[in-house]
Amino acid sequence: MEVEEEQKGEETTTQTKADEQKPEQQEEAGSDSEEGSDDEEDNDLDLDALDESDSDSEFERDLNEKQSAAGIQANKYQKAAEESSDEEEDEDEIDIDELDVDGEEGEEVKAISKARQTINNKQGLLTALKRFALDTTDKVPFAFHQSIVAKKVTEESIPSIDDDLARELAFMNQALEAARVGRTLLRKEGVPFTRPTDYFAETLRSDETMEKVKAKLIEEATAKKASAEARKQRDLKKFGKQVQVAKQQERAKQKRDTLEKINLLKKKRKDGGGPTGANEAEDLFDVAVDNELKGGPSGNNKKRGRDGKEGGGPNAKRQRKDAKFGFGGKKKYAKSNDALSSGDVSGFSARKMKSGGPAGGKPKKFKPAPRPGKARRKAGAGKR
Amino acid sequence: MAAVYKSLSKSAKKVEDAEENNNNTTTNGGFRKNKQRVLILSSRGVTYRHRHLLNDLAAMLPHGRKDVKFDSKSKLYQLNELAELYNCNNVMFFEARKGKDLYMWFSKVPNGPTVKFHAQNLHTMEELHFTGNCLKGSRPLLSFDLAFEQEPHYRVIKEVFLQMFGVPQGARKSKPFIDHVMSFSIADGKIWVRNYEIREVEKAKGEKDSEGNDIVPESDKSSSKKRKGAPNAELKDTDVSLVEIGPRFVLTPIIIQEGAFGGPIIYENKRFISPNQVRSELRKAKATRHNARVEQVKERLGKLETLTAQAKKEKDVLDTRELFA
Repeated sequence: MEVEEEQKGEETTTQTKADEQKPEQQEEAGSDSEEGSDDEEDNDLDLDALDESDSDSEFERDLNEKQSAAGIQANKYQKAAEESSDEEEDEDEIDIDELDVDGEEGEEVKAISKARQTINNKQGLLTALKRFALDTTDKVPFAFHQSIVAKKVTEESIPSIDDDLARELAFMNQALEAARVGRTLLRKEGVPFTRPTDYFAETLRSDETMEKVKAKLIEEATAKKASAEARKQRDLKKFGKQVQVAKQQERAKQKRDTLEKINLLKKKRKDGGGPTGANEAEDLFDVAVDNELKGGPSGNNKKRGRDGKEGGGPNAKRQRKDAKFGFGGKKKYAKSNDALSSGDVSGFSARKMKSGGPAGGKPKKFKPAPRPGKARRKAGAGKR
Repeated sequence: MAAVYKSLSKSAKKVEDAEENNNNTTTNGGFRKNKQRVLILSSRGVTYRHRHLLNDLAAMLPHGRKDVKFDSKSKLYQLNELAELYNCNNVMFFEARKGKDLYMWFSKVPNGPTVKFHAQNLHTMEELHFTGNCLKGSRPLLSFDLAFEQEPHYRVIKEVFLQMFGVPQGARKSKPFIDHVMSFSIADGKIWVRNYEIREVEKAKGEKDSEGNDIVPESDKSSSKKRKGAPNAELKDTDVSLVEIGPRFVLTPIIIQEGAFGGPIIYENKRFISPNQVRSELRKAKATRHNARVEQVKERLGKLETLTAQAKKEKDVLDTRELFA
């Protein structure tokens, strides 16, 4: 049939087009000289697929006949459908692309590099499209179909398919443009577009899901905040050493100032009161200094003198022990006699010496019994 | 037979041609009414993710009819009868293989065509934590890439999407407002499907696009006859922004059949590689590593053997062992 011839011509052109489009496939295929022999193999390959489609096409034809009986199918579509089914029965009609050169049928064929025999029956596709397409031209209102074809190819604005952000942005831009255009068109037609705020209805995603989403968002926000806080703390820690050193220096300076003040006051006192100042006066003075420095009364002058530094000093026990056993100064010869102590006879008493007790005027607590008389002694001896 | 049929159909009335060339539309006023019903079902052996995606899609299509799992993977033509039973003229069939691969069949039921896709990168609405939401059953705007107009097979696919995902005007459970966009884009030979909520936001000061200028006279002249006169005037300085809702998925077209779950194949995707092949390639690549090692060991052992054999064979008379044995 001449129709088939036409179809064949169409097919070959599509094939060449496909070849042009896929140069990389061509490279893998290698030399074209082997294509002829490969064609024969392909016919074998395709047989089972065709068997399947054959049975189906009969089914299809049954349907077509039914429709023609009903008189609903337009003749031109019917014709086209007929053509396509006829053409399918012809194995030669199938658009065959190149195979792998070393591709022995069924073995050693690399899946990825293998160029499969493909079908792209453009005529058939267009016929099928005409058969079921809705009218989306300007004649029908936009609200009928609500479909918008973008003005540019989205893929062109995607630099790399693996770049998730850029890809999603491109998709979103396409949708955004469609939303803008669609809104304009729908408004023009007077179709309600925006949902009023008092219109409540079931939503696509349930409230629980939205609650979950919300919880997730909050969680993310708090996590971010916490991590920021932790980072800040870490930075502070690094900086904290310097702060500590500065504080110590400040404290040392304060101490030095205080000491200086004390020394100054002491010097002043010495200059004014003279070296023969009474103990009482000194005590009074020290208390005054103490009050000035610490803002509170303090008891022990002696201790402060010994410490020479701050009030308070060591704990109470230590203080008591220090008072008892002495603290600081030379310990050696502390108890040995010297000229003064040897000359000191204040503890001597003749009476005490006579009484036989120890010196120091202590009263005799224990007196040995005096020697008895002769008679008593004799009597005693006889007893014994 | 064909010639007879042709002559018969040529003589058929031209009026019928004008009236109806499409079984799913009927004349209503100026244009045909769009009547679509989609049967949504899956095969056995779908994973939870496939099931959730199916549920998401079913929730988005108020004109959809969800059915129980279909038991057979080979006798898909039975779906035609099933669809007829439910008065559906579209079938969206999820075919799961090996408990991991999902193939989606989109078919116009009585007369075709049928498109088979391989679905990848499935993300359901629930697992995508997007903040968008929309009315259940509101009619979506369908946004198609320009690439859909450039190839015949893409045009067929576009039309199928239009009829499946586009909620027909006046569908029973549809809502009267439009608050989401479904977008279909082609990239890398695959079709990427996204769903966005349309949010109206205050337009920034000084920003004035063509749309803003366009609306002003429109609302002026239409306010008298159109019911939404006042809101229109108030809305004219809002802009739209999009927030994604989900789900997300990517479809690779595999074949287009002329009939419904049958008929001749009118398109086959050359670039499609079945996931089984991909996996086997991976396995093979792994196997070659092991094979190479085994080969190496074998080689070494062979070398050793030959050397020992040589040593045994060559017993020279002047050899030390021979001389002083």
